Amino acid sequence: MLKTAFKRRFCALLCFCLAAPSAVPQDTPSLPAAASEFARLILSREGSLSTLSVTFQNLSSIPPETQEAMQNAIFNVFRGANVKLVKPEQSPVNVQITFSEDWQGYVLIANIQQGAVSHAVIKKLPRQQRAQSQNNPTLTIRKIPVWQQESPILDFYQDNQNLLVLEPGQLSLYASDSGQWRPRQTLGIPHQAPWPRDARGRLEVHGGEINAFLPGTRCSGKISPPSLECRASDDPWPVDQGLVAFFSPRRNFFSGLLAGQSAGASVAPFFSGATWQAGDQRLWLFTGTDGRARLFQNDLATPVTTFSGWGSTLAAVHTTCGSGWQLLASAPVDTSRADSVQAIEISAHEALPVSAPVDLSGAVEALWTAGNYNQVVNGVLYSQTSGRYEAFTLTVVCNQ
Amino acid sequence: MAAGGYASSRPRYGGAVRVLLHDRVMSIDPIGDEDHPVTRDRLAELAFETLTEIDTQGRLRPKLAVTWHADQAKRVWQFRLRLANFHDGTVLTAADAVASLAKSNPAWKYSAPDRQTIVIETPSPVQHMAEMLAMPRYAIVKRQMENNAAVLIGTGSYKLTQWQAGERAQFTANEDYWGGRPFADTIEFQMGASLRDQLMDRQLGPYAATELSVDQIRAVEQNNQTVYVSRPADLMAIVFPQRDCTGRPSKKAVDTRVREALGLAINRAAISNVLLQRKGTPAAGLLPQWLTGYEVILGGATNLDRARELRSDAAAFVVITPIALAYDFSDPLAKQVAERIAVDAREAGIVVQPYGEAHINSKTARASINADALLLRVPLESVDPQTALAARFDDLGLLQANPSAILAATRPEDILESEQTTLGNHCVLPVAHVPEALWLNSTAHNWQQRVNGEWDLDQLWVEGAR
Repeated sequence: MLKTAFKRRFCALLCFCLAAPSAVPQDTPSLPAAASEFARLILSREGSLSTLSVTFQNLSSIPPETQEAMQNAIFNVFRGANVKLVKPEQSPVNVQITFSEDWQGYVLIANIQQGAVSHAVIKKLPRQQRAQSQNNPTLTIRKIPVWQQESPILDFYQDNQNLLVLEPGQLSLYASDSGQWRPRQTLGIPHQAPWPRDARGRLEVHGGEINAFLPGTRCSGKISPPSLECRASDDPWPVDQGLVAFFSPRRNFFSGLLAGQSAGASVAPFFSGATWQAGDQRLWLFTGTDGRARLFQNDLATPVTTFSGWGSTLAAVHTTCGSGWQLLASAPVDTSRADSVQAIEISAHEALPVSAPVDLSGAVEALWTAGNYNQVVNGVLYSQTSGRYEAFTLTVVCNQ
Repeated sequence: MAAGGYASSRPRYGGAVRVLLHDRVMSIDPIGDEDHPVTRDRLAELAFETLTEIDTQGRLRPKLAVTWHADQAKRVWQFRLRLANFHDGTVLTAADAVASLAKSNPAWKYSAPDRQTIVIETPSPVQHMAEMLAMPRYAIVKRQMENNAAVLIGTGSYKLTQWQAGERAQFTANEDYWGGRPFADTIEFQMGASLRDQLMDRQLGPYAATELSVDQIRAVEQNNQTVYVSRPADLMAIVFPQRDCTGRPSKKAVDTRVREALGLAINRAAISNVLLQRKGTPAAGLLPQWLTGYEVILGGATNLDRARELRSDAAAFVVITPIALAYDFSDPLAKQVAERIAVDAREAGIVVQPYGEAHINSKTARASINADALLLRVPLESVDPQTALAARFDDLGLLQANPSAILAATRPEDILESEQTTLGNHCVLPVAHVPEALWLNSTAHNWQQRVNGEWDLDQLWVEGAR
């Protein structure tokens, strides 16, 4: 378990600052405009109205000041159409306007009573996001959105000119054009068997050479001219700098068998892993499929300690803060809920949270160390609310 | 960071999920006439898939169909199928889908211009065809005879591997599922569970989840257990099964003024607050306020003076005899609500005699029930209001309701007006909107309950496996 008791002391030492908000607070400036549109809709349905009475009731969560603005907007439209507004007892037409809501948004209802006959006009409006509360500052994890789409994103790569988005069935290339990413080419990733649930993938680009790893499949190619060739393969995947591991081709985890510099070593099956140098010590951390995170020091024979209560996705990031390395780890929440990412330092076999959790708008699907100096973490999240996958980068900034 | 002994955001493969069900399901055929269609659909959705689906946020999503479009009149709809296999290894074709859909709705015309394309033609416009086809009754099922027995084959992420009607069902992960093998190895349902005993004995440990009735929620919540309560989605309503309402002959017809008077006499607020323990809401309309936003303008308030007046008016012309009100014998909540309605009715001078009936939810069996009125609980089959209202008319068996007009409607006010018209003849008296509730073990993850109480077990995984 993370030692939160150390948090204050550690924060004082490092002078970390605030967690960046990931959601843009929105007010409801468009509601009066929507109310005007609603009034015009009523007029268009009713034909020529010369005199009417209007009453309002608010059964929604629209705040009183916004309600007043909406009422004024409706009055203005009626007056602008030369409709005389009178008291109900003086009018042959009474319009009862209800501000209501359903589970997805606001509902404006006009019940128009003309003698014994009444009918309704309804307009539905999407509810706008409310401002999210911000956490108190400790260390800045800065999140920068890169790309959003409805289809799954497994991993991505970006430099000044190129954005490559790895998806289960294809690699999409985008070129920078006046600050916007424009589609350039899509390269297919053929595969025989269906991808496993919670499909994962890894994308590496070095000097224009592309290497993509998917469960049971490996693809190689070039950015320019765009090309990609894929084959069935159980080749190990790059996990972190100097950490290479075999991925279970029909599952969503690494088998635990390592390759590369650690060839021959094996650890418990894991979802994600990180390695970094702390002075003369080499450290590895793996989030096991059994829910435990295992820390290894200098060798991979036996973990020096285990942690519980961690999320299953993490990545190491090299910074100028604290010891120079932090782990950015997801929270232990189900994928159906919004996730968060928190910076953690490992010190004397203990895990110390060194930032407030940064709330995300969805579940973390991937975190991979990136950048020439491991100074960036590329992340992917899926928002159930928006139904979209979002690629983003995380950097750690210290408040010196 | 939150601490927990066994937590993770990434799903784990493996393990057996055991679920307790209160009701006994006799068949998982999505178009079968079943006593417990909600429970049946929960099982059937594991094995059978629809062309489209509506997700937990209410968005329409592709399922077995990857794309679809309609002509301008919304009378001809074309769906393009994805590549998928049935559980017997055969490839899903448009002909299979057409055969299945024709069973679900014989009123439409179907064709399969190629192996992957389905064309549906309807006699009148259907604005929300894609939403309609997300309902369980439109699941694609291959029906064939084996050893003189009907076998149902689906394409879903789980295969039905053991079945004892009314007792037990076991579903096993479909390794070749087009969307990837599901996480859990098996999901096993035990039916007819006496949940009250198990709750008292705290014997729920081995189970991942169990259904709860509204009156059980508080006790479970007080034990700091995880309880999922849907929005109040099911409709509890009184339906009069007489010729002018449902088209079927009945021993006697309840006068329209008496029906209206009964509607005005029911104290819906008391039923919701006391019997439904504030988990339900009073129903003025057929669809709940949270779904439409307009139920508030439909009224539904108790008005005993007007009820007595209407009763007196009716008594001047007809002999008012006691109303035999049948409720679901297996549902203790229905019994309480029916008895409360009888008490309220008495205040208006109307005699209601509640009694329990088996098979009240089965349409076929309902036809032979000799009651003047039925207290029904019908599920919310879609979170698309248009589709939901059409399905509700069908479930309630209302003659004068016109599903075609609803399906052709292009504006929300058309749906409101259709509902108002139907309510205006007092053949159906909405009583309450009732939620679906679920107890969930902390070892089960990603169990999603949709807003209407349906279960989405697509991403379900359990601890203790990998």
